[in-house]
Amino acid sequence: MNIRAIYHIARADFFERVRRYSFLATLLFAVYLGYAAAAGKIALRLGDYRGVYTSAWIGANMAMVASCFVSLVGFYVVKNAIQRDRATRVGEILAATPLTRAVYLLGKWLSNSTVLSVQVGVLALASIVMQFVVAEDPHVDLWALISPFLLLALPAMAATGALAVLFESVPILRGGVGNVVWFFAWSTLVTLPVITGHEGFDFTGLFTVMESITRAARAAIPGYNGEFGLQLEVGRKMVVAGNLRWAGIRWDLANVLLRLGWIGAAAGLALFAALFFDRFDPARRRGLSAAKRRTGQKATPPLSPLLRDEGISAAPVEVSHSYAVTHLTPLSGARSWGVPEMFMAELRLALKGYSWWWYAVAGGLLVAQCAAPLDVSRGPLLTAAWIWPILLWSAMGAREARHGTEQIVFSCPGVLPRQLPAAWLAGVLIAVAAGGGVAARLLVAANYQGALGWFAGALFIPSLALALGVWTKSNRPFEGLFTALWYSGPLNRVPGLDFSGGANGRHTVEYGCVYLALSATLLAAAFWRRGWQLGHS
Amino acid sequence: MQLIIEGVGKLYRGKVWGLRGFSLTLGRGVLGLLGPNGAGKSTLMRILATVTRATEGRAIWDGADIAKSPDMVRSVLGYLPQDFGVYPNLNAVEFLEYLAAVKRIDASAARKRISELIELVNLTDAARRPLGGYSGGMRQRVGIAQALLNDPRLLIVDEPTAGLDPEERVRFRNLLSELSGERIVILSTHIVSDVEAVATDIALIDHGGLVVHSAPETLLQSVNGRVWEIVISSSELSELRKSYLVSNTAHRSDGVHARVVADHAPAASARPVEPTIEDAYLSALAARRSQTASAGGAP
Repeated sequence: MNIRAIYHIARADFFERVRRYSFLATLLFAVYLGYAAAAGKIALRLGDYRGVYTSAWIGANMAMVASCFVSLVGFYVVKNAIQRDRATRVGEILAATPLTRAVYLLGKWLSNSTVLSVQVGVLALASIVMQFVVAEDPHVDLWALISPFLLLALPAMAATGALAVLFESVPILRGGVGNVVWFFAWSTLVTLPVITGHEGFDFTGLFTVMESITRAARAAIPGYNGEFGLQLEVGRKMVVAGNLRWAGIRWDLANVLLRLGWIGAAAGLALFAALFFDRFDPARRRGLSAAKRRTGQKATPPLSPLLRDEGISAAPVEVSHSYAVTHLTPLSGARSWGVPEMFMAELRLALKGYSWWWYAVAGGLLVAQCAAPLDVSRGPLLTAAWIWPILLWSAMGAREARHGTEQIVFSCPGVLPRQLPAAWLAGVLIAVAAGGGVAARLLVAANYQGALGWFAGALFIPSLALALGVWTKSNRPFEGLFTALWYSGPLNRVPGLDFSGGANGRHTVEYGCVYLALSATLLAAAFWRRGWQLGHS
Repeated sequence: MQLIIEGVGKLYRGKVWGLRGFSLTLGRGVLGLLGPNGAGKSTLMRILATVTRATEGRAIWDGADIAKSPDMVRSVLGYLPQDFGVYPNLNAVEFLEYLAAVKRIDASAARKRISELIELVNLTDAARRPLGGYSGGMRQRVGIAQALLNDPRLLIVDEPTAGLDPEERVRFRNLLSELSGERIVILSTHIVSDVEAVATDIALIDHGGLVVHSAPETLLQSVNGRVWEIVISSSELSELRKSYLVSNTAHRSDGVHARVVADHAPAASARPVEPTIEDAYLSALAARRSQTASAGGAP
């Protein structure tokens, strides 16, 4: 194993990331998490209680914020290490070296883990500051404060970094499908130890903390019911259980080895990813090879060695037939305002590249919406219908940057008043077509409030997609955020977060208006940003 | 039809000027923009194509400032960037149809034009294949087709022949020559032979500034009688390079044939030869750099 190569791949990748402005945004996210934890907005809770803010409690609280939230969001941040080498074509240079897949992927894993660990480091510093600021317990126990970061959060970051490498290596998980799958994989990983009751599955370390704290709480709080969680502030006041001065997890050799085992498993996962990694070989890329098979494309024959030198091309070349501009029909006067054409072009572009079965599922969901009882249509069927086209929406606004067509498209007339609205309208039409059965049923049933809620949702989804796409030039933020929102709102029917309106009960109209206002704001933000980009590409 | 560039400059992050105080007036014809890598050619192209804004100065197209009225120039512009991408799931026809809609070209006119352009750039057989499977040269030809899609009056092409095979390169040069009568064509390249073949005007650019702007004949006259060919042994070549500007060398059976640009014959055996644009280009750049060095500042 070439340790030096691994180190330099990780080092170059790390520097490339941290020297981008986007890294500052991820650091700010970590700072915000630190603030949220210090201010009690994200806290370890024992039902209505919490323990005294000892070094151990603060350290565990902050480390769990890192483990759970940085792993969820950080995955999307680091899941582009291989993609960047592909886009910059550095990968082709690397592919022509003796570098093995395993060494390359271990380097990328190390870099991913280091980037995520920097976020953990920010939260570790925040926890030290928090103990002095809160000052509930003047005694500082440095090991109790820091050990949750070292033994719980860092292994979680290592595992997240390795999973990002695996997702980038497996062709089907490389793109938007992987971004959606990650949310569900993460949810499963977090809940798995609770379901199985086995510490060995404890990816984030939350189960380990829970076991230790609840044991202490049972002894210190009379009538404590065993409730425990890392929760966002939901308006419930927390009572400080003065007797609960938790001293931290008692680390013994077995549980230290168990946690370090996650780092070993993560390295193993990165090596496992090598089985799927195409090593930048275009012939092994799924989409391309399939396309070539379909069209029977032959490889371009190589130039003769003499002709490879650009300088030699000045020599006479026999030209079989010449470019003749006289063959081109002049376009004088054949100009169109072209809004319908632009809309159709954006719609075709959005829908291009999907298999027949994708359309079959979308069509099936639409038919089912018309046939099923209204509650089922508006509930699970609309929920499914509005996650199915997520990859169509996530390309909105980011497509030009992702495919390198910015300079060509942005140098065309009327991009702001024509192309961007057409892209948005195409997104709206996709939402309307996917969930149209429910809208028709609501209107037939004269449930105009429900129809308003549905309409707000149909506008909100493409507006969010367009705004995030234009601002971030990437599909990943929308795929991550929308999946989380969809999971909380339509799927788990949290009132207010259900943008489809089905779970908002008597507040459907109010929330509908909120989503309409949000849509308008997001759309304005997208237009403003694209207007700025048009002169600053 | 006129494009006036007045004192245009572009300041990048890190306070690096990519272009500074650049002025030029262009009419119909092909302007060959020559310069070494990093000279500011692509920056100038992007400013003229309204993709980026100048930090100082202005560019005026038919009386209108392109920064204030970008759509005026965009509606008559064909632009082939140095680096561009395509949508991999679309085929060439679909990609051009999409861009025709973006460029506001009437649908029926666009269909005819696309069909002609596909034939023109020799992609008829590959027109229905996904672009993701195209070679670099084929993508470049799609790029050329999209630049001509709207019958542009201002055609800006940045390194258009990069990735093209010699035959396609010659065909593209012929196309540019034919196009130049009716429009302004700006051809940026560091391949001097491309410029030599088609340019009606040449601008040399270095370190973000204009070195010289003239007709090719005028540029050639500047080195007339100053280009020599000398036959030397391989071991003498490095010594010759230290003393003179050597524009080209070729190994022959009787030794190394070296082209030297100098005011006087480098040796008694040297014979004067007909200058090329490449000789003139290298001479102008060397003169500019020596002037800057003697002035004591960085170029």
